[in-house]
Amino acid sequence: MNTHTSPAPTLVGGEWIHQDGDHTALMITKCHNCGSTWFPPREICSKCASGNVEQALTGSRGTAYASTVVRIGPAAFKPPYVLAYVDLDGARLLAHVETDEALAPNTPVELKVGAIGEDDTGPLSSYLVAEVSEAPTSGDAL
Amino acid sequence: MRPVYVAGAAVHPFGKHLGVNAAELGFRAVQELLASTGISPEQVDAGYGGSTYGGSLLAQRVLQRVGVSGPPVYTVENACASGASAVHLAWQAIAGGFADCVIAFGTENLSGFGGGTLPLTTNDIEISQGMVMTAAYAMRAQRYLHDFGATVDDLSRVSVKNRGNGALNPRAHFQKAISAEDVEDSRPVADPLRLLHCCPNSDGAAAVLLCSEAFAKELATPSIRMRASVVRSGDFHTSYRDMTWPDITARAAKAAYEMADIKPSDLDLVELHDAFSVAEFLHTEALGIAERGQAYKATARGEFDRDGRVAISPSGGLLSRGHPVGATGVTQICESYWQLTGEAGDLQVPGAEVALTHVTGGGIFGVDNGACSIHILTTT
Repeated sequence: MNTHTSPAPTLVGGEWIHQDGDHTALMITKCHNCGSTWFPPREICSKCASGNVEQALTGSRGTAYASTVVRIGPAAFKPPYVLAYVDLDGARLLAHVETDEALAPNTPVELKVGAIGEDDTGPLSSYLVAEVSEAPTSGDAL
Repeated sequence: MRPVYVAGAAVHPFGKHLGVNAAELGFRAVQELLASTGISPEQVDAGYGGSTYGGSLLAQRVLQRVGVSGPPVYTVENACASGASAVHLAWQAIAGGFADCVIAFGTENLSGFGGGTLPLTTNDIEISQGMVMTAAYAMRAQRYLHDFGATVDDLSRVSVKNRGNGALNPRAHFQKAISAEDVEDSRPVADPLRLLHCCPNSDGAAAVLLCSEAFAKELATPSIRMRASVVRSGDFHTSYRDMTWPDITARAAKAAYEMADIKPSDLDLVELHDAFSVAEFLHTEALGIAERGQAYKATARGEFDRDGRVAISPSGGLLSRGHPVGATGVTQICESYWQLTGEAGDLQVPGAEVALTHVTGGGIFGVDNGACSIHILTTT
């Protein structure tokens, strides 16, 4: 080792993350043929196989569908850690939650980018969510 | 389609068999199947072996040790439904008239992985975020409790019931009854699930003999009829999904009931995929055995006890019998065979004539489960 700096974190799913100041969004795919919404984004709709799809950005706010504290799990994520299924502009995705306790169903959340763990290549970061007090504003949606 | 019969069953007891690999466990089960049915290897027209972690050509490595080498033999991988998928393919071969006598088995050794959660498929977006099967079921449980007013005590009742059933099963991984306090005192795994809400990683194997009507009549062993055999894959999408309604189970069940011309109310017993206690609620509802959001009340009222309205997992289920992934779907059919032939001993469900077996699994993102298989069996 001849470097004195920490390795840059691996950004898990980084190719789908769009950051603009404090605002974090994710790239999703909308199918113009069948109306399906996809995350991660894709070139061909996985429902109808159409290539008539649009890559779009989500808003930054969504809602927790369900959540848990994982107390026994892969060492890379340093259990205990909190996961949630998050509903966001038509897509449901799994994300870490910046908290110590499971979110109640329907808790409003905001997308961020932050640390999720560390493996043998170094620190891992990714999109994650944190609870927000106020409901999503209409201007936030697509 | 021709009628298909189950004419023999054998199980290598489930538990921790460190150092006994999947092929050896499978061999022991298949050897016992041949001995108990009295068939000779040259009578076997085809073989199917289910396993998730057993490796390439597992079915050959098992069957060639009992003289079945030469006919078509297949290794089948479908996660938790691997063994049941092997049975389904055996059923196809006989129903379609391509074979008269087929061995289907499932085998797994999970001790080699050590403790904790099972390794899942790589290159999956949820697994790269730290998903494990316990977390998936924990979130289903949180949402079920939220939506329908059930409590953690209701989840614990499933563990207590099924561990009580398995206490009587000499083939079960856990053969000791537990109390609600034992569940509450067990280690938290993924909130709201504790260790005793989760099935163990087990080692074990199971084998069944499937045959045509004419072949079954030549055998001295009793036969039961396989009225339905169904496999379905998950409906892949990444939009909103009701995770308290396992659509894959509902679709497989609908097909199975239609094939068997049987209603949910006809069932005497169900061997269900209770990998986690909440699964008994989710799947009894999707199977049409309980009203939506009401299964936890049925469990509390004793409707799913061995002597209840319909016995759910009278052999102990995955929670007690254990879960050697690829063997689970086959052992459910073995246990049902003994129930319907009146050979279930202490596990016997009085007057059992109609059984359903249900296995579903596979942790990949965007689906309820990767694969689900349902079989319906009757005495005649």
